[in-house]
Amino acid sequence: MPVSVSPRTFQFVHFDADLIERVATGLTGALGFDRPVAIEVDETTPLARVTVDLGDTVTIHVESGAFEDTRRPRHQSEQATAVSLGRVLLRARDRLVGGFGEAPADDQLTLAQRSAWEAYCAGRLERLGLAVNQQRFRYDFRNRHGFRDTADLAFERLWHSDGLTWGELAEISRSASADAA
Amino acid sequence: MRKFFPVEELARDQRFHQITMKDRMADPRSALGTATGERQRSNRLVPSRPDASQAARALMHGIFVGEIQALEGAGRTCHDFRTQGDAARRAQDEAHGADVDDVDDAVPFALKLDMARQAWDEARHVEISVKLSDWMGSEIGEFAENTVLFQAACSTDPILRLAGVNRALEGLAIDVFTTMKEFGGLAGDPFLEFCEDWMLADEVTHVKMGSDWLRKVTEHDPDRRKKALEFQSVVDKLFSYGGTRSDSQESPIGLARRFRELAGFTDTEVEEIAEVSLAALDERKAAVARMQAAAAVEHTLATN
Amino acid sequence: MADPYQPRPPFAPWDRRELPGLFDVEESARRIGAYKWAEIKLFEALGGWVATVPELDVKMRLGTHCYKHAWHAELWHKRLPELREMNPDRLTKPANDAMVRFVEALTEPEVPERTIEKLVGVYRVFIPHFVAAYTFHKNNTSEITDAPTIRSLHFILQDEMDDWREGEMLLQSLIDTPEEVDRAAAHQARLEKLMVAAGGIAGPGTIGGSAIQAGGPNGSRTHAGGVA
Repeated sequence: MPVSVSPRTFQFVHFDADLIERVATGLTGALGFDRPVAIEVDETTPLARVTVDLGDTVTIHVESGAFEDTRRPRHQSEQATAVSLGRVLLRARDRLVGGFGEAPADDQLTLAQRSAWEAYCAGRLERLGLAVNQQRFRYDFRNRHGFRDTADLAFERLWHSDGLTWGELAEISRSASADAA
Repeated sequence: MRKFFPVEELARDQRFHQITMKDRMADPRSALGTATGERQRSNRLVPSRPDASQAARALMHGIFVGEIQALEGAGRTCHDFRTQGDAARRAQDEAHGADVDDVDDAVPFALKLDMARQAWDEARHVEISVKLSDWMGSEIGEFAENTVLFQAACSTDPILRLAGVNRALEGLAIDVFTTMKEFGGLAGDPFLEFCEDWMLADEVTHVKMGSDWLRKVTEHDPDRRKKALEFQSVVDKLFSYGGTRSDSQESPIGLARRFRELAGFTDTEVEEIAEVSLAALDERKAAVARMQAAAAVEHTLATN
Repeated sequence: MADPYQPRPPFAPWDRRELPGLFDVEESARRIGAYKWAEIKLFEALGGWVATVPELDVKMRLGTHCYKHAWHAELWHKRLPELREMNPDRLTKPANDAMVRFVEALTEPEVPERTIEKLVGVYRVFIPHFVAAYTFHKNNTSEITDAPTIRSLHFILQDEMDDWREGEMLLQSLIDTPEEVDRAAAHQARLEKLMVAAGGIAGPGTIGGSAIQAGGPNGSRTHAGGVA
């Protein structure tokens, strides 16, 4: 399926649209995407939010910080590009293939639900061969679910899971949070 | 070994990437004034921020490299300045062409002992920061190292250095650790809150050392004290990082007024720091607006 | 319970401390002034080097050890007035010019590629000489009249031994090739020769020998037993 990237040239950052396209093409192939993907990069902000619109084309809106090499500000990191796109593409695929029909829209997810879904995505990305720092996602999960053993067990379950439904994922997150409360 | 060490030569292994304040300020992008919803009301680093974990990790890495530079600064103060009464060093300095009659170059023995103690404290803080970074999922060198702390703080005048390192840099550390301690408390992170509390205690001690020595050494030299305080004000503004630290909720890091008071800052001094921090925030916002406008014009010209 | 009014010997049977010592007050103060000067030079060097070494673990150790030697200098600084030297600066001086040359050579390496030389100077030459000087002093001063110095020496020697071990382990972890072994050995030999010329941290007689038997650098000895 075709992948497009805009803009093709960047004014504020030293990004390479071809690299973004190449990384995204590899990921959409590996994840079996059945429709075109359009990536729109907002280079005017260093923030790192990534949002997605699902339609006949999957449109991904990326703030430049998401692709940035934090060692070298304004320069691109291939790894960050892959992990940022991989997470959002997996979340999009979860919604498209079914089992996630009840999931709230991305901007309606609670911080706990979002971190649980991120952990579920990052674990799968690692199994796809991407370099993912597990502890980073564990820390975020703990921040949202509590610094306790039961939260860590929930995280481990999400990290090693495949084929969860929204109901299962939300329940793992809810029970971890409930225990913290 | 040279007497003063240039910031460009601070030794690091290959994991580190250093940038200057100039590099940082040349970034035309800005997180200020572009956010919506909750972010528009507050940029303060709290767990309820959607990007809290990432922001906390980035700040922790900033603390880590800041501690390395503080360690280097304290260590250099032990080395760079002659101890009062050290005749052998005086002769050595003279042999190397130094003006040994410049009494401002010599410092009391006890001051150097304090700086050595500070070097140990900072070394521990580096150790703590490494452990906390690991706990938070960061890697050493994951973020660029801004060398402004060493650059701005390490004056060749010992009293200016005290003002720069012990009062401005360590004062910033008080603000940062207070923010991080509160973050850890709110998030329920037992390690973060525990460690920041300990480091905060050390930083208050370091600032107090600076405050005490500044007063003591310049007791009979009001001009020198004035010069040192002016230097500190300049460094404080620089360390506000264009508004990263101020009383405004737009700043991720707040001004820790109570701990600063404990560390020997007067109310007037705290108010002055609050003012220069807010001024730095406003200046940064104006500069970003100018850069973005210029870039937009450039972009329009390029696409037409 | 034993009768508290029953006379007991003032020294318990296991307390074998002796009154005689090798150093009088003046000689003890002279040595301590030299120790203080040397400890100052060491903590200044360690502090200065922190910024010059790229290895993070070494950087942190140097910062930590910097304070320990500053504290040793402080202990000696406080001891001097107790030894009738009311102006501690007067005796805070190198044992001789050779000792100054040693410190100059010790602190010469600066570039980041010379961490091995920096560590060799401290942990294979300077600190072993501190250990020797302090051990000799501890074992030969009066165990009763000079107890305050002995107490400080105990603390300091504990630090020195700990730091020596840490520094040596850092060195062993940094020295990987035969060329690096040669570099370390060459630098050690160069510094050791300068230290030999100085006669040790407190000058000739630092660890006894002919200088002591001949009356020592100051010619004043209270040689009432022990070493000869």
